[in-house]
Amino acid sequence: MAATPASVAGTIEVRGLTKTFGSVAAVRGLGFTVQPGRVTGFLGPNGAGKTTTLRMLLGLVSPTSGTATIGGRRYRDIADPIQSVGAVLEATSFHPSRKARNHLRMLAMAGGVDQSRVDQVLDLVGLSGDAKRKVGGYSLGMRQRLELAGALLGDPAVLILDEPSNGLDPQGIAWLRDFLRHLAGGGRTILVSSHLLAEMAQTVDDVIIVSQGQLRAQGPLSSLVTQTQSMRARTPEPDRLLQVAQAAGFSPRQVGPDAVVVDGAGPQQLGPVLATHQVVLYELVQQSQNLEALFLELTTSLGTHPEAAGYDPAGQPVPPGAGQVPPGYWPPPPQFGPGGAAPGSPGGPS
Amino acid sequence: MTRVLRSELFKFRTTPGPWVVLILTLVLTALGVVTAFVITVNGRGQFTAPMFTPQLRELMGAGYGAGTVMAPIIGILCITTEYRQKVLTTTLLVTPRREVVVAAKGVASAIWGLLLAVAGLVLVMAMGIPLLSTQGGSVSDLLNQAGPVIPGLLGEYILMAIFGLGIGTLLRNQVAAVVLTIVFVVILEPIIVALVHSLAHVDLNWLPSRSAAALAGGLTRSTGGGHTGAGPLLSWWLGGLSLLAWGVGTAVIGYFTTFRRDVT
Repeated sequence: MAATPASVAGTIEVRGLTKTFGSVAAVRGLGFTVQPGRVTGFLGPNGAGKTTTLRMLLGLVSPTSGTATIGGRRYRDIADPIQSVGAVLEATSFHPSRKARNHLRMLAMAGGVDQSRVDQVLDLVGLSGDAKRKVGGYSLGMRQRLELAGALLGDPAVLILDEPSNGLDPQGIAWLRDFLRHLAGGGRTILVSSHLLAEMAQTVDDVIIVSQGQLRAQGPLSSLVTQTQSMRARTPEPDRLLQVAQAAGFSPRQVGPDAVVVDGAGPQQLGPVLATHQVVLYELVQQSQNLEALFLELTTSLGTHPEAAGYDPAGQPVPPGAGQVPPGYWPPPPQFGPGGAAPGSPGGPS
Repeated sequence: MTRVLRSELFKFRTTPGPWVVLILTLVLTALGVVTAFVITVNGRGQFTAPMFTPQLRELMGAGYGAGTVMAPIIGILCITTEYRQKVLTTTLLVTPRREVVVAAKGVASAIWGLLLAVAGLVLVMAMGIPLLSTQGGSVSDLLNQAGPVIPGLLGEYILMAIFGLGIGTLLRNQVAAVVLTIVFVVILEPIIVALVHSLAHVDLNWLPSRSAAALAGGLTRSTGGGHTGAGPLLSWWLGGLSLLAWGVGTAVIGYFTTFRRDVT
């Protein structure tokens, strides 16, 4: 056995990943890259294939085709994987009669991690006081913390979390959010799945949106936010404003005799444009961000906006091994750019 | 592999299941010891010290019956607990190479099988020697039977534990695996052996508990669940090989059919 396992540097790469259970395709030609030092949200409705994808990434489920690697290696090929990759999968995977501390000792033993780490991670997740209790008596939140402690045991560069906030109370969710941000600050790769975008919006840097086993969108959240921002203006010259905003690549529409709503623009984008063209304003306010609406749009109305799928416009599964560099991850895919088609716009084959 | 094995042994240690099996083994062993003192004289059972070699061997090997029933349960628990309590995901995240996990579990089960056997032997001594002395038997005669009995007894516990692991790998369902194993070993196998023997005049000596009985030196007439109505057993080493083949065989089949499946 290797004495000093080389820590796996943290880029997660998924290429043409497909998994079929009987006649059901849970994951279809999925491809994405997750960069170190950022928190990436892996988003999609229940049954979108998120869990299956993460389990393939972790060697628990074998792909029908395609590859999923961490630092260029399959999980099962990583020596002492818990020293490179930490995973939080479900809150139920403990023996109820085993004490929390013993659970971690057991993991440390098999994973080649020094036993002194056990108390460190218990402290880190705030479970020191309950370490000698049996896990069967733990609350859901405590189990989630214990699971996280297990994932952090080997001080891994990559963290993969499947719906970690499931069943947590708002306090727990806030704690988790801060905790993940803190961990990402240390340069770790963090991939966290959720079916709730709103919950993730304050935590993640990048998003990968999947539905029905296929990629729908990916890129920095900031682009997505800009995309879904809209501004409401009151002006004596709505026609000019419409013209100017249109020319700048936004999607304006008149909503009243002196009122215009400009979709796809935030104050930083629209303000300078209007100032340059000296459009007179009585009022300029930011509309509430409709992130959740976009999320729903991307994940429910399949085929309506093929341009929003970005990675795979034709809606075809990407053949395994096709193309070493996937189109459209960095820089952000066009659908998030200011010039991209707004959600809800017509077009594309359906 | 060493680390995974240590972790598996630690798992055993930190859950109640194996300790319950240990206690049940000791209870059954104690019953075996008491039974060895009940000697039939003139058609009536009397509580008296065993004097003759076969009876002394029976006392020395009092753990035999317990071993056949309880040792496989250790192996079954070792693997089915992973499914029952959903610990398998965690186990495979730490050790993604599943063949290593099965191998480590096999060795861990064997070690616990040995532990059960040693605990049983200690109990046999602790109960047998004072009982024998007070009933006027010879302790040195008893100890003289240790040589022929103990190796087979230890081997039987160890190999039966591995066999249990194989069953558990194959079946996954803890309750089903435990019930089926006990029913087969205690009830079905002797019936099948006796039936086939009387109808076809063939001895099914290669079945698991017949093999175990052979390994343990044919001590089983009264404690092993009735191996009456059949011919002679295999030689001890063939019995051992047969039992090992049952264990390794079921584990390998279980590994390829069940254990490599997706863990969802």
